[in-house]
This record gives sequence, structure tokens and C-alpha cells, in this order.
Amino acid sequence: MPRASTGESRKVPTFCYQCVAGPEIVEVKVENGVATEIAPRFEVADVHPGHGKVCVKAYGLIQKTYNPNRLKQPMKRTNPKKGKGEDPGFVPISWDEALDIVSGKLREIHAKGVVDESGYPRLASSLGGGGTPVAYAGTFPAFLAAWGAVDFSFGSGQGVKCTHSEHLYGEFWHKAFTVAPDTPRCDYVVSFGANTESSGGVCGVMRHSEARIRGLKRVQVEPHMSITGGCATEWVPIRPKTDAAFMMAMIHVILHENPLSRIDVPFLKERTSSPYLVAPNGFFMRDPESEKPLVWDLKTGAAAPFDTPGIDPAIEGEFKVSGVEIGADGKKWKHRAKACRTSHQVLKDHMAGNTPEWASSITDVPARTIRRIANEYLDHARIGETVVVNGRTLPLRPVAVALGKTVNNGWGGYEACWGRTVLACLVGALEVPGGTLGTTVRVNRSARDRRLSVSPGPDGFMHFPGNPTDKKGWVRNPDQRHAGRTLVPLSGNSGWSPALGPTHMGWMSQKDGEFPGLPRMTTPDIWFTFRTNPVISFWDTETMCDTVAKFPFIVSFSYTHDETNHFADVLLPECTDLESTQITRIGGTKFMEAFWEYQGFCLRQPIIEPQGDVRDMTWIMTQIASRTGLLEAYNTAINKGATCVPLKTKAYDFSLDVTKENSVEEIWDAACRAGSAELTDGKESDGIDYYRKHGLRVGDFPQINWYLTPTLIDQGLRYEIPYQERLLRMGQELGNRLHENGIEWWDTQLAEYKAIPDWHDIPGIWERAYEKSFGANMKDYPFWLMTSRSMQYSWGANSGIQLMHEVAENIAGHDGAIINAARARELGIADGDPIEVTGPSGQKVKGRAVLRQGIRPDTILMVAQFNHWATPLAKDFGVPSINKLVPMLLDLTDNTGSGADLVRVRLERGRVQ
Amino acid sequence: MTRWAMVADLRRCVGCQTCTASCKLTNATPPGVQWRKVLDIETGEYPDVRRTYVPVGCMHCDEPPCLDVCPSTATRKRADGIVTIDYDICIGCAYCAVACPYQARYKVTKRDFAYDRENTSEEAREDPKRMGVAQKCTFCVERIDFGLENGLTPGIDPDATPACVNSCIADALAFGDLDDPNSNVSRLLAENKSFRMHEELGTGPGFHYIWEERR
Repeated sequence: MPRASTGESRKVPTFCYQCVAGPEIVEVKVENGVATEIAPRFEVADVHPGHGKVCVKAYGLIQKTYNPNRLKQPMKRTNPKKGKGEDPGFVPISWDEALDIVSGKLREIHAKGVVDESGYPRLASSLGGGGTPVAYAGTFPAFLAAWGAVDFSFGSGQGVKCTHSEHLYGEFWHKAFTVAPDTPRCDYVVSFGANTESSGGVCGVMRHSEARIRGLKRVQVEPHMSITGGCATEWVPIRPKTDAAFMMAMIHVILHENPLSRIDVPFLKERTSSPYLVAPNGFFMRDPESEKPLVWDLKTGAAAPFDTPGIDPAIEGEFKVSGVEIGADGKKWKHRAKACRTSHQVLKDHMAGNTPEWASSITDVPARTIRRIANEYLDHARIGETVVVNGRTLPLRPVAVALGKTVNNGWGGYEACWGRTVLACLVGALEVPGGTLGTTVRVNRSARDRRLSVSPGPDGFMHFPGNPTDKKGWVRNPDQRHAGRTLVPLSGNSGWSPALGPTHMGWMSQKDGEFPGLPRMTTPDIWFTFRTNPVISFWDTETMCDTVAKFPFIVSFSYTHDETNHFADVLLPECTDLESTQITRIGGTKFMEAFWEYQGFCLRQPIIEPQGDVRDMTWIMTQIASRTGLLEAYNTAINKGATCVPLKTKAYDFSLDVTKENSVEEIWDAACRAGSAELTDGKESDGIDYYRKHGLRVGDFPQINWYLTPTLIDQGLRYEIPYQERLLRMGQELGNRLHENGIEWWDTQLAEYKAIPDWHDIPGIWERAYEKSFGANMKDYPFWLMTSRSMQYSWGANSGIQLMHEVAENIAGHDGAIINAARARELGIADGDPIEVTGPSGQKVKGRAVLRQGIRPDTILMVAQFNHWATPLAKDFGVPSINKLVPMLLDLTDNTGSGADLVRVRLERGRVQ
Repeated sequence: MTRWAMVADLRRCVGCQTCTASCKLTNATPPGVQWRKVLDIETGEYPDVRRTYVPVGCMHCDEPPCLDVCPSTATRKRADGIVTIDYDICIGCAYCAVACPYQARYKVTKRDFAYDRENTSEEAREDPKRMGVAQKCTFCVERIDFGLENGLTPGIDPDATPACVNSCIADALAFGDLDDPNSNVSRLLAENKSFRMHEELGTGPGFHYIWEERR
């Protein structure tokens, strides 16, 4: 066995939050001051849904700490020329010099004003995906709050590599930034590419493992058999980007091939827009006096406002109704005895032609398979059954539809998210035990508890805090370079909204210059990057190099040299996970499938001495704030809650002296005390020492909090589905605003605002865009290139960690591109052969062929995001990435500002090196 | 009597390699040496394909082929079924590595590090005895013996359980005493369909796989 410990040995808890499924508590063994082992923290097994376990990424933390490639002191650039081929000429400098350079630049900018002549912030900041870097950023958010306007337009993959349409429509429909099955109670899941076993974290993996043993059936519909597909009951290979057609056919089978009695009519009547009558112009028919939407009351045989007590609304049918219709910008129509269908009838008629036979030609899935799956879904729905959760009787509907990345973002994302949510509603399975649930809430507030985000909105629906589209409220001048609040009403205006894009428009703004009608585009004076590498992780990565090279002053908090900080002016090396201090929130319900019965706070603590002259982020930001003259505002931001918990409320006060440079210990001790007090209504105030010993502190979060429908029942509210009048109005008003200002380049996106979506040639959008932009003939690009998350790498900034590389190589696709074996043979390509893959823009990547059976013949898969050229270790992998081949095009941007992670390519056998 | 055994539930395993990584840290194995790992296996032809994740390593056989060929008696089998290697006796002939039908044995002849130079943690955990000899999964025998000495139950108490089992995020790995009909592993095998790898070779592996037919 390894050399025995001769001296001090201890096990220390800390958190691992390297991916969005975290945080979780990990135990680090330290021998004689050296971190040697990582293990689960079984002390928290009783409160953790994953029994105290941590995923593979956590085991890389020791190498991450002792990686000899780390930058261990501040550096400054000496070569003023920036470019991929330019040596930055980094030279080591002292912390004093580094901080003076950065704060000097900040003071200079602040004196000019935090926004420039176009109204864009002079300071831009980028963090890695999923919001997880914030849990490592110490008091960086407090500095940004103290600074004022900050541009978050320059994403690292947000908007194009997340589940973007799901984020926006999910929040609109059911306060669901991310969506998951209620796996512990679910019996049947149709998963369109949801790769839970790779990206669902410990909680997701454990829940699904338990459910499989219990008998959960999961049908995995996706072009390649993912890690999750391997764990599924059945794999159904589907043509890329045709998922919505499959779901529409399922809806057809349920509505047209089964009697009404097989769906959950009470749920549709009481909790959805199904009974609302649709007027001739597509908006709801309304009561002339109250302007409330009308329904047809079966008891009286007359129209009545939806909330009239004692009525029995018709779910199906067409009725002659008089009333008013209110369109965009308050436009009003008066109607007398006009034929109006219920929203449900509109849905049913809309889906009449979407038979499985119709869908089969689009999806390349046999009609009998689609029909069988639709009927199995219905068979498992157990309509009418109930279950008691925390003393309350709720419907039990153990069926769900799950969507994965690329299905639920970019064009086709709206149709897919709508199809999924309609399928849940038809059987009453939205936000009830066993069904389809939201996990995180980010656009709506409160972010801590989805139930608290529910409040009454118009027409009996929930309020949604979208960006205004009316003449007075519309944001004419964007506050972010990607113009999110101006172009994307659904992105809202929360702290997360800037990250909801359209972030590739941030990058496109720098590449293409102008978006006619919007203020003149500018480049930020200073750009901070933290735990992010957009030059690798975004699209069109060669162009990204040219774009980033134009940024005049870049400050990168750095771990090793990488592709983005290659362009930096100053590198500030921060303490990594085992060297630094911070608390963050843990538990509750969080993405991806983290459903806890507890919530609280957990601590990351220094377990070993920092390696070299690296510093804690909180110390760095206190110094920068102080030297920039923002110390008081910075401390005030900390007191208000920038550390994840307010230090002063009515129940407690642990606020810091705002006039002094508080130490890292003082700041996080106060945050720990505030956390303890928040959990105990001010009764307890245990500080950092308590968390150092236990790792976390939690209070109860009852299971009933997982489900939103009880809150809607209590508030008498409905989900706005299957017919979304608000979206129709939103789109028309936005169109009016844009056209009034001469903006017509967003018209294609405006067409996506429909009250009820229908199938259109979604894959063809890509094909036409490539033909238009590059003159590319799609016959020359016969493959769809896709990507897939890797548990070993995703979100973890792990590409330079040897252990992750070694263990990931046990999983197919981490050493090359996965190609259908028979198709490869037709092309004369054998397993391991060199290949060259060319995208429609002419960009190429090289790698090795990995021949597998579990992939469609027209699809190629490149796992994760590689193609590094600067990051030590990773630059030697020789593994290709999709990112270089995906162009950023307005034509491939949907109305939510999102793109999807796929591209048409050509495949050739490469030359042996 | 006691017969320690491992059970891998193939219905649960997701191939994440958390066990692989955990084993490497716990046992301080150098790059490329994986006493525990998970295979990613495809069967069938498109579109009728199955993908299965199969944890493998030393099977701690009843009749270990590695033991039969060992000329130095370094490889032995304990009464509780654990197959051990005495690094002081092993002469590094690697007959055992060739004889093992499970490809579970490694021999390292020169020091290797995760990066181009040794890091602090690797230096702290260096074990010169492993150089030039056979090495493989030990079922974390030190943890088992520590547990037994301290009244703990291997497979139940984490401090007495192999690291790979502790780490598994799908609860796919179980460890326990097959001679105890009420142990966790005995119950799992009694209640489910299982097989052992290369059963036909007569090695009597102490590693069992639970599986079931899918659709």
C-alpha cells in the first residue's frame, strides 16, 4: 500500500460545486499538510439525496491543486500585439503591481462614467456556464455590484449550450428554469435526449438508479445512444431536430385515437387555458364589461367569464359567442355571435394531421413505434389516482417527458418545450407527484423557493416578469451589447437575465459591428474573465480568437495558461477549491435533478496552504475595491447579500464595518452567522467554525415544496397552455416596436411568437442558412455533427486534469469522433483511422474515428469540448470539437436568442500523421 | 467462514468512472494503472443496440489462475477469499498478468506521474515496494482488516468497505460476505439474476454481476 502516514492525518469537509448539479459535500484526507485522498462525506448521507456521495469530478481536486502547470504568481503581458499566434510574453509581477495596474485602469474608466457613449457598460465580465463559478468567485459579485453597470453579454456557451428555450418557456409556463421528471414517483419517461446520467449529477444518477430498480421505464429518443441511452429501457434513434414532430404525433394519438375520458379533463378545465374561447383574430374572446376571458358554461349553455363560480366549462367544441377581443397594443375588436372554439378544441384541430404516419416521414421513426409509445405513456398515467405528500392529497401522475440540450434550445426549442408541457397537461401530470416538474427558478423571483415565485397575473394565469413590449416600457436602448432586454421579452430582468442572452449576439456584435437600429456598437474598455474559456467553449472558435484579440484590456483570474487568458493583459492567479473560503446555498430544488428535503448553507474551506503566491478571490476583490475607491460600496453590497446571504435582516445583524478592509475570515464568518440565523429565524448564530467542522448546516425543505400545482390551487391560478395568448401579444407588440425603430432583421424570429405552434421544416432552417451564408450545397455535407456532455468534464474546468483525462478515456468518444460503423466502412474508414471533418463555413477539425453501432448513419458525435491549443495537457489530446465548426449566424438564432449545438458537416478519411 | 465478494448491479451502473477515480486516489496508483475500471460495451447492430457499463478488476477467484503460475508464492489466497500479492516476495516475472483471464494485473517498471514532474501529493504517497512487481485490486484489504479489528462490518460501514463501493453514485457496487446468507450481497444474489465473468473457465470469480433482460 502507499507509504503510511507518519504524522498528522485528518479528514476535512468542503463543498464541490464544479457542475450545475452541485453543490455537494466532499471529504478531503490531509496527511502531514498534503491533500492525499477524496471520499464521500457519509456524515451528511441522511440529508443528501445522493447518500453523501460526490461524482468523479471531485476526485480530480487533488491534482487540480497540485497541478505543476498552475500559474502561481501574477503576470502581465509584455507583447502589445494580441493573437492566437502571438506570444503574450507574460512576465511575473508582484501582487502590488498587478493590483495597481488593474485598479488604475478601473479608476480611469470609472472617471469617464460606467457606460460609454452608446449606453453600453465599459466594464464587461464573463463567468463560466451554469452559474457555478459564482460559488468560487468569493466577493467578486460584491465588487461588480459596487461598480454599477456591467456587461455580461460575452458568454462562454450560455444560450447555445444550455437548455435555453426550456429556461425561458419553462419559466413562462411553470416557473421552471430547468425541468425534470419526478423520478422517485415516476413510472414511464419519454426522454428526448435528456442526458441525465452524464449531467444530472449525483442526485440525478442516484434517483434514476433507484427508479430503474423500482421498475421505471425510460424510452430514450435521440440520434446517438448517449450514456443515458445506455441505461434506458429502449433506444429510439431519431433524425436530429425533429423531436417536436414526434411529440405532436403523440398528442395526436392521445387526442384523436383515444376517447376524451382517457385524459385529465378536470386538470385541463381548472388549471390550464384549455376552456378559454379563442376569438377570430387569435386572441381570447372576452367579457365586454370585465374583459376577462370567456369560457362556455355547459350548465347554462352560455358564455361566462372563466372565474365565474359554479360553472362547468366546456373543454371541446365551437360556440357562437359575443364579446370583445384585445390584441397587441390594446387593439380591440367587438364581436357579435362569432364562432369560437375552446383552446383545447383549437389544439385538437391543430394536431389533426399530425399522425404517427406523418411524423414517421419526418423523424425516421416507424409510425408503430410512435403510436406504441404514446399509448404506453397514456397507459401509465394513472389518471384519477392520488398520493399523500406531507399530509396533503395530490394527484399521482407517474409519467413524464424530458428534453435534452439541442432538443430544447435554438429553432425547434419552442415547439419541443410546448409539446412536452402539453403532454404533461393532457394527463394532469404537470407539477404533481410522478409528473414533470421544474427544478430551478432564475428569471422569476424568489430564486430560493419556486412556490414563492407564484403570484396572480392576467386572465387567471401566473404573473411572468417579462421585459415590457408596450410603447412606454420597451427598452429602446439596450443595457447589454447582446440587446437581450430589447429583443427577448421572455429573458426577463433578473440577475440571471443578462446570461440568458442572446449571448452569441454579444460576440456577433463585436465581429459584425452594427445591428442597424440599435446604438452604435462598442468594445468594452475592460473585460474580466473568471473560470471561463469562451475561446474554446463557444462557437466559431477561430473567429473568437480574432474577436477577443480586439478587446483592449483583459484581466483574467487564472488557473493555468489557457486559450482565453492567452489574450489577457493581466493574469491574477486565484486559490483553487482546496485553498479558499466561501459559503454557498445547498439543497432545496436545484438543477438538474437535485431535489432535496433540506436546504441551507455549505462551506468551502482552505484545506492546505495555497500553492505558490495565489490568493483567495475575496482578498483579491477587497484589494481591488479598496484601490479603486469603491470599498464602502463593496462592503455595503456584501452586507446586502452579495455573499449569497444578507448580513442584516429584521431577525439578525452581522453586518460588516463598511469603511475598512475586512479580512476573508471576517467576511465569511459573518456570512456563516447570517446563514445560521436565516435557518433558525435568528435564534442561532454559529459562525465559520461550525461549518468547518460539519461542512454544512441545513433546515427542512418538505417534499411538497417540489410541486407547484398545490400553490396554483391555493391561489386559484392556471398554467397558460396549450394556447398562449400572451406569447402572441408579446410577439406582435415587439414587432411593432422594432418596426417603429426601423429594425427588420429580427422578423424571422418574430414569426416564432405563436399562440400555438405547428410543425415547420426545422432541420431545413440550418440547411437554408448554410446555403445562404456560405453557398454550401447540403449534398456535400451529409452528416449532422452533434455533441454530448461528459460527466468527467462538463462545467468543471477540468480539461487540464490528467485524472479526468485518464478515466474519461474508458468511455467511448473521449478520444475521437463517434461514427456509425457501417457508414464508416462505406467510406473506407476503420476504427482509429484519422479523419477530417469539415463544416459549411470551410473550417476543419482532425481527429480519430471511433466506430460504434449506437449512432444514426447520418450523425457524428464529438463528446465535450476539446481542440485546445494553449491549455497544458489538454492541448496534446488531439481530440476534435464541434465548436470550431459551428458558425454564429443570425439566421440560426431563434426568438429567445438561442442557437442549437449542431452543424452539418462533411467527413473524410484523413492522412496518417 | 467468510467469503468476501463484490456484486455489480449492471442495471444501476452508468459508467461514470467515479469508482475508477476513487480507487486511483485511495490506492495511489500511477497513470494508466486502474485496479478498478468500468468498461463501456456495445452489443448488437444498429439500430438494435445495447450499451452496458461493466465494472471490472481482480475477481478474487476461488481458483485464481494467477496463483497457480506464481513461481515465488507472492500471490496467495486468504481464507476469506481475498487474493493478495506480497510485494517483498514477488519477482516481477509477470506470469500472473499473462495468466489472468480478466486482465486485472499490472506491472510498473518506472515511476510515472500525472504531469511531466512529480507533484506534492504523489511524492507523499510514493510506495517503492510496488515498483517492478505485480499489482492489482486488493478489495481494499487494509480497510477490511481495519474494520474487522474495530468491530465494523465490511460492506456496511464505510471505513471497512472498499473505496470503489463507497464512491459509487448509483449504488451499483456492493461488497459483503457470501457465506453469510443474510448479508447484503447474499440477499442481492438470491433476489436477482446474476452471472460471473468467464464462468466456463472454472476460476470461481468473487465478483458477481446482476442483470436483467430489457425490452
